[in-house]
Amino acid sequence: MSKRITIDPITRIEGHLRIDVEVENYAVSNAWASCTMWRGIETILRDRDPRDAWMFTQRFCGVCTTVHAMASVRAVEDALKLPVPANAQYIRNLILIAHALHDHIVHFYQLSTLDWVDIMQIPKADPAEASKLAETISPWTRNSRNELKAAQDKVKAVAASGQLGIFQNGYWGHPAMRLSPEVNLLAFTHYIQALEYQRKALQVVGMLGAKTPHIQNLLVGGVANAIDLDSQSALSMDKLEQIKVLLDEVVTFINQVYLIDVCAVAAMYPEWFKIGSGVTNYLAVPDLPLDSNALAYDLPGGVIMHGDIGGVQAFKTASDPIFRESVTEDVTHAYYQGDKPLHPWQGETEPQFTEWDGEKKYSWVKSPRYKGQPMQVGPLAQVLVGYAQGHPLTRKYADLALGQVSAIAKINATPAVMHSTLGRHAARAIRAGMLGELAQKHWQLLVDNISKGDLSVHNEPVFPWGEVEGVGTHEAPRGTLSHWVLIKGGKIKNYQAVVPSTWNASPRDENGAHGPYEASLLHTPLARPEEPLEVLRTVHSFDPCMACACHTFDPSGRQIARVKVL
Amino acid sequence: MKKKITIGGIGSVLLGDDGVGPFVAGMLEAGYSFEEGVTVADLGTPGLDLVAHLSGIDALILIDSVANGAAPGTVTLYRKEGILRHGPAPVRMDPHSPVLSESLLIAELTGEGPQDILLIGITGEQYEVGAELSETARQAASNAVTEVLAELERLNVSYSKLHAEQFSAWWKPLAEALPVIAGPKG
Repeated sequence: MSKRITIDPITRIEGHLRIDVEVENYAVSNAWASCTMWRGIETILRDRDPRDAWMFTQRFCGVCTTVHAMASVRAVEDALKLPVPANAQYIRNLILIAHALHDHIVHFYQLSTLDWVDIMQIPKADPAEASKLAETISPWTRNSRNELKAAQDKVKAVAASGQLGIFQNGYWGHPAMRLSPEVNLLAFTHYIQALEYQRKALQVVGMLGAKTPHIQNLLVGGVANAIDLDSQSALSMDKLEQIKVLLDEVVTFINQVYLIDVCAVAAMYPEWFKIGSGVTNYLAVPDLPLDSNALAYDLPGGVIMHGDIGGVQAFKTASDPIFRESVTEDVTHAYYQGDKPLHPWQGETEPQFTEWDGEKKYSWVKSPRYKGQPMQVGPLAQVLVGYAQGHPLTRKYADLALGQVSAIAKINATPAVMHSTLGRHAARAIRAGMLGELAQKHWQLLVDNISKGDLSVHNEPVFPWGEVEGVGTHEAPRGTLSHWVLIKGGKIKNYQAVVPSTWNASPRDENGAHGPYEASLLHTPLARPEEPLEVLRTVHSFDPCMACACHTFDPSGRQIARVKVL
Repeated sequence: MKKKITIGGIGSVLLGDDGVGPFVAGMLEAGYSFEEGVTVADLGTPGLDLVAHLSGIDALILIDSVANGAAPGTVTLYRKEGILRHGPAPVRMDPHSPVLSESLLIAELTGEGPQDILLIGITGEQYEVGAELSETARQAASNAVTEVLAELERLNVSYSKLHAEQFSAWWKPLAEALPVIAGPKG
């Protein structure tokens, strides 16, 4: 007999992810992912000045602000075939990298570790033992007995107060939790330290972008940062040195803590390398352009179909013609009008709300498809696409991580294990390692270019009277983001954003094919269906971001979640 | 040592009265100057990155739209206990869901959270995509500014009024000049 479980964190204004699963014999037999909020924000952009669009798109989501700003200016530049000065590329790249590093660190520590780490085991840990254990896997200087004991004392104080605060709703003592008290303590200590380092990454975004969370320095055609190595009011050498110090600290944390922790936790839960694969079609776009015309990139893009890593197809540019032609959005199971998949430039966003019906329409998310196929996007897609192409930097960090997992777990972790829930976590850490190295590289590229005497940061856009179309892409922390714009006579005629979480959270399409979240949940074992920790592990591994728009605080406490078992 | 204080407007400027928090932040930034150590920020709709903005400060003043069943335009003040009364959301399905209480609890855990917390809540009237602030919310925004200034006085923080022009609101064109259009017309 099957049971239906709905996980639905009800918030004040609708706008979140809901997961429904059917469970038979302690395993998921069917799954539905739905978003409960209308995302028709694109309609605001019609008839606006394309040079302003990024200021609005930056407000699509409060967490992924910069990524929507960047995709938007790139879309308009693509439509105008407008090159961007090299300095502007490097400054943008540094902002994108710093934002991504912040995002990846927060995702693992603040948003995911507690799916794997049992806080209530921490009081039992021996800090001296934990410190010794840490020494064997990392040179990190902040794994001392004292530092670990201080973290343990925080947990003890919280536990003794009877008010668990941030920890009050975890699935503590769940049979799927398996780390030793010492490993739990180490991971939690790094949870606390991570808050410091993600803040340093955000500081870099703020220093280059003028403000955070909403950067102010973008322009269609470049950036607005004045460069003068000797002036305090401009981007000076002094400021660049401060940025370098912050980046170096973040990079050390990533290499000595984040990457190591992900491998260690993964090695203790090796069965999760076999769970949660789902859709093994992967999509990533090239990013971090190296020159004014974006002819070369530091992050490779491409497509892998049906898990066939050897059959990877590479994208040459961030708006590769194959990519431009192959994306459609299907609304068969989404609350929109329309009877056939549409290309984003022709995209419509006309709501047609009905009750939630798993057989018919059940989500506000459309189903983006690539040549008609569902695609998984995110760090895993990026790492696999790069690995398959033999990209040296990807191989360096992927081999490092897989080697570390193999050594600790005493297994042979090949790239094939990456098609999994843990593969998504590992890929995010691998990507963070790559981005750390690239942060230092692009900082040097910027300094070298300025030192040559090139201070240009902006090319003025000129719009044609006729209609032009553009796509701006960005390989964002959650995966491939694309903004599609139609411009006529200097005004926006149509605008569509196909966001990473739309690819991953998409409902079924006209052929009944599951979206990536849905597919990844099938066959997941559940030790206690009434505490569906395993479902959360897999969903969280994608780093979902749905509640992008509305934030009204609800003091009445209706901001509750529902785990309903029928 | 001057106190470190963050005044943050929270909400989406694209969704009607949900944007009232950032609107109040804009009014404060354009109309007042504050002593050193005071930061005025439009925080938008943050997730747990909010922790970064409320760590290492002495006092936090947030302005946000609230759903408390009061008449639209009502300004209600909440202190820490009122905000944390219900704790964090039981299930973090989407890890970026609204997380004011979670962020405060994390900052408290690290010991870096602010001593003083005030949330100035404004009951909204409409939350339509692309809508301007309602007249009701606009009037309430002025009352919220008064509350912010009262809280600063309570904290012994000085400020002065500027005679500034009105700041640019979101639903007006932002660029200063029209775009350059060239080439054959058609």
